[in-house]
Order: sequence, then structure tokens, then C-alpha cells
Amino acid sequence: MAKEPKIIEDKATPIKREWEEYARKGNWTVKGYEMVRALSGPGKAEECKEEDFMVIYRPHGVLYHHSYGLVSKFFKGLIEKHLFGTKCPKCKTVYCPPRVHCWNPKCRVGETEWMELPLTGKVHTFSVMLFSADAFLEMLPFVLGYVQIDGAHTALPIQVMTAPTDVFIGQKVRIRFRGKRKGDLMDIYAVPAKGQTMPENSCLHEYERNLEDLNRDLENTYAFLDKRFGIKKAQVERRWKAK
Amino acid sequence: MNDRRVAILGGGLYRPGRVRYDNAEEGVAMAYKNMLEDFPKLDPREIEFVQSSYFSDHLNQQLCMSWIVQDYIGQHRKGGYRVEAGGSTPLDAIINAYFLIRSGQFDLVLVLGWEWMSEVDTATTNEFIASASDTDWDFTVGGFYNGYYAALETRHMQLYGETIEDLGKLAVRNRNNAVHNPFSQWRAEHGTGYVGLDDYYKDRIIAWPYRRWNCALISEGACCLLMGSEKMAKRLTSNPMWIAGVGLGSDSMRPGDRLVDWAYHGVYKADERLYPANVEKPKTPYPEMANFGFAREAAKQAYAQAGIRDPLKELDVAELFAPYDGVELCLYEDLMFCPRGEGKTLIRQGVVERGGKLPCQLSGGLTAFTHPVGATSLLQTLFLHWQLAGLVRKKLGDATLQVKNAKKAITTGHGGTGCQGGVIIYSKD
Repeated sequence: MAKEPKIIEDKATPIKREWEEYARKGNWTVKGYEMVRALSGPGKAEECKEEDFMVIYRPHGVLYHHSYGLVSKFFKGLIEKHLFGTKCPKCKTVYCPPRVHCWNPKCRVGETEWMELPLTGKVHTFSVMLFSADAFLEMLPFVLGYVQIDGAHTALPIQVMTAPTDVFIGQKVRIRFRGKRKGDLMDIYAVPAKGQTMPENSCLHEYERNLEDLNRDLENTYAFLDKRFGIKKAQVERRWKAK
Repeated sequence: MNDRRVAILGGGLYRPGRVRYDNAEEGVAMAYKNMLEDFPKLDPREIEFVQSSYFSDHLNQQLCMSWIVQDYIGQHRKGGYRVEAGGSTPLDAIINAYFLIRSGQFDLVLVLGWEWMSEVDTATTNEFIASASDTDWDFTVGGFYNGYYAALETRHMQLYGETIEDLGKLAVRNRNNAVHNPFSQWRAEHGTGYVGLDDYYKDRIIAWPYRRWNCALISEGACCLLMGSEKMAKRLTSNPMWIAGVGLGSDSMRPGDRLVDWAYHGVYKADERLYPANVEKPKTPYPEMANFGFAREAAKQAYAQAGIRDPLKELDVAELFAPYDGVELCLYEDLMFCPRGEGKTLIRQGVVERGGKLPCQLSGGLTAFTHPVGATSLLQTLFLHWQLAGLVRKKLGDATLQVKNAKKAITTGHGGTGCQGGVIIYSKD
């Protein structure tokens, strides 16, 4: 008979309990409605006529349990403050994000080997985020970086903790672990290594106007954070000034 | 391969808006009704198969929406199914219908596309869409597509030197085209005045280097196309638009993996060589995180089938699937309108403007016309049909956007961060 799966470490019971109640409360029942008078019809706006519509409000929340599969070692590694990648013994490609099977067609889905990677790398590319999905709004503004870890051939998406006007492609970074870790890529972030000079041709810095406009909209973002969450600019800047 | 030809016979649309209150099946029904008005000789029972196209199940709390839609318009009993591939969904639906007709299986297929994207708040819509990225990796770090695409554009900008002004020119052009398109969201919300670069600079940055104006709209809308064999084209319309070539391609799910992209490694040597010497080269220099390999793959196939050797010269009009303006610039290179790194030059020389050598996004594109995902490529295809059939004045009530004597057109599809997509070449003859 096949062996039954067995829970060998449990950090999930609190959320399972909490969710039991939530799932009973909300899902799929209509909680309210509005009547809305609005344009109806396929054509140009001036050809449409008004109709009355009933709009219902119906919540839907779920709690997924999802296995990280054979790359579980990577995420458990984050919790234990280690950064792992994998290496194909045949073609020598080093993957971070790790792949348990090599994607080089020549290697015919060959298995890779785990290796520990250094906590250093460089910014391959980045975006300065001034808006995001619900879950991330309080983190704004932040730099979404694709960081190539030293020794790896691929790039890992992680946040770069720096003043948004200071980031550049090719910037050397150190990987840091957050105090509270939960087992996803937010457990780590990058900080710029000390003593680097900005290259002359950095695309963000090459034109004065780029920085002026970015600074203007950073101020708008700070104003939004204050209004929506009561988070002050000085608090936000402390995130990277302390590093 | 057999020599059956396949044509777009015509189509209809339900004007997209940020929020519409007719629901999805009613919107599709109105688009379909709008189409039937152009086909008085068509008995709806003659349609042999229904190809549905919509992207998200999350947005509407509904799986298998195509069953609702197909029965609502009385097209049930016959076969039908949905294809889904993120942003590439509607283009893939057209290509799939093409395969079904080309194979000889059917002579007449109805393609239905829609998306209702405002049933949740904007940030949640972005979140649902971003769950088409790898949720164990890319999504986790605060991603939504604007962020991923902004990072891709930053890379291309660093390598090849386009500027914010170049991106601004595309944003301005899209709006100044959209004001002549009465079905566009830009015109519904902002009226018919032209805008300039100064207005663009005032617009809010969302994810540097992108401003709001550089990013695709959120939309609710529908479109349908009638596609048929030569026999059906002869019987039902005087202005069919032929599919002269199709191509499909794909790339890695996670853009960060493209730095060592074994499937592409050494395949496009000329593009690999066009890599600036002062930037450290990743193991696979093309497409890496700067260009779109899937589009090159797809274009190669489509051009070969359509007999196109010099696309910039032979194509007359383009509606590209560009959810962000930098994507359009990169696509010029991947679709071989110009060599790698020269995308900016086409913008600066006005090639892609109205009246230019190859006008792109005359409809206003995804950032100023509309982007109800499952309907987008259908709407762009319908727009190209109006171009090639000379129907722009009749359909829009304004001939400004009509390209004179247009004979060949291109459209593209684009899913994820360039994970999958395709190319279709349309021809008047």
C-alpha cells in the first residue's frame, strides 16, 4: 500500500481555523444591491439609450493550499536564511529561480543538483512602482528589480530597497532576509552594495527631466499613502535610509 | 497542405467602455445582431461552429461563460469551445477558427470575443490579471503587469537608447487617432480634442518608465467575426478580407529566465550581434528581457506563408497588440520592420504615424481605443477589415483614419510578458 502523506511541520493551523469561519460567513451570497441608470446598447455613445440596471454585491474569498513541489527546498531555505539555486550537471546552467529539471532541450529534462548561492548579485533591470495591486499598496513606492544572483544565469524578481531615484541597471546588490519570513520571495530583498558610482549612461538618469518627473510623482505617491493609510513620507524613506 | 482559402467576411461590435451595465451575453448578442445587419443573406442556422474567446474566469465569478453566451444567441446544438491564452486569447481564437476552416472541417465559423473587467475594483482587476504571471515567483514581489512590462522596457531602453519622449509620442499618437474613432474609450471620456507631448509629461507615472497613458485600458466590451471558406465568401460578401498567413510562437513564463533561454540560444545570431558592447551580455542575448522572441517566431511563419519579404514596404497598415507603448517599439524590431535597436527611429521618422509609411494603431490601440481582453484582437481585426474594404467613413462617420488603397495588413497577439502570441497577415485579394 502507498504511504499516506504526513504533516511533519505545521505553521498553518491558525489560518485554517480563521478561514473556516470566514468561508461560512461571506461567500456567494448577495450582500447588497444598487439600482443604476446607465447607457445601454452596442453603438456610439450618442446612439445609446438609458436603462435601469440592478447591480448586486457578492463576495468571494478562498484559502488555497498549494505545494511548492520539488522546489520546496528553495522556500524552506529562505525561512532558514539560505539562498539556493540548482545546477545542471550536464550543461552547467545555474538556475535561480531553481528548476528541478533542466530546460535545455539537449539535456532531455535531466535532473539538476541543489547548490547554495552567495548573497550578492546585480540589477539586470527594474521598474519604479508608484501603483500596484491591493496587497502591495502600503509598500509603495518600491523598486521591482530583476536581480541576477552571482553565479546564476537567470534573474530573480525581488524588491530593491533603495531610494527609487538611485537604482540603475548593473547596480551591485546584497541580498538581505527580512526579520519575519513566511516562505515566499518577499522574505528577501536587495540593498545596493556600498561605494558604487552611477554610470553616465543610466537610462533613468541620462535626462534631467526623467528625475524631475519621477520626483514629482513620488511626492504624489507620498500624499496618497498619507491620505489612505496615514503613512508619512519620513516613515517610508526610513525603509531604505536605515539600510 | 491544401489550398483552401479562409476569409474574414465581416463582424460586429458592442462599444467597449470602462464600465458597461448590459451584461456580457447581452453585449455579445448586440455585437452579433450588429453583424447580422451586414449579412441579410445569412441564415444564422448555417453557422457550423462557434469559437469563443474570453480571458478570465476570475473577473466574473463564472466558469464556462461561453456556454451562457452561445445559448443566449441561439447558437447552441452545434459545436463550440473557448480558447484561452491571456492577452493572446482573441488572436488565437481567430487562428483556431482559421485552422478549422482551412482543414476542411467547416465552411462557416462564428468567432465571439468579450471581456467584462470592472466587476471588481481596479486594483483587484490588476491582481487577477497578474495571476497570469507565475504566482509562486513574479507575482509575489508586488507585481502587476505594468510593473513587469516597465522592467522589460527599462532593459530595452538601456540597451538601445529610446527615450521617454519616444514613448510619449506613441501615447500622443494613439489619443489623436482615437478621437476619430467614436467607439474608443478615450473619445467617450475625453472628447475630440487633440493632445500634445506637454500633456503627456503631466500624466502620472504608474511604473517608471510608464505613465498611465502608456498602459492598456480596462474595458468591458464585445466583438464578433464571421469567418468562412472561399465558397461562403463568394455567397455572403462583396468585400472579404483574406488570411494570407498566420504564425504562432512562445517564450518562457518568467521573463527573468530569458537570460539563459536555451530554446532561443544561437537561433537569431544577427540580433545577438546587435548587442551594445558596453553592457554585460547575458548567456542568451536575444530576446533576453528586451525583445519578444515569440513575435519573431510567429512573424517568420506568417511572412513565409504570405510571401512577404520586406514587411515595412509591403504592409500598408498595422494594428499591433501593444498593451504598453514600449511593447510596440520592440515589436517593430521583432516583426522585422527594422533591425534590432532601430525601433525608436521608426517613431522619430514618423513612419508609424497617421499618413506615415506604415501607420500603426489607427484605432487608438489598447491604450486609447480599448482592451476588453477576449475581444481585443477581434476589434483590431474588424478595424483592419474596415480599412481594407474602404469602410472607415461608413462605420466611423469620419474618413480621417482611412488608409487609401490599403491591401495588406498585420495584426499580432501577445499574452503574459510575451509568453505566447501570434501574427496574422490579412490581404484584400
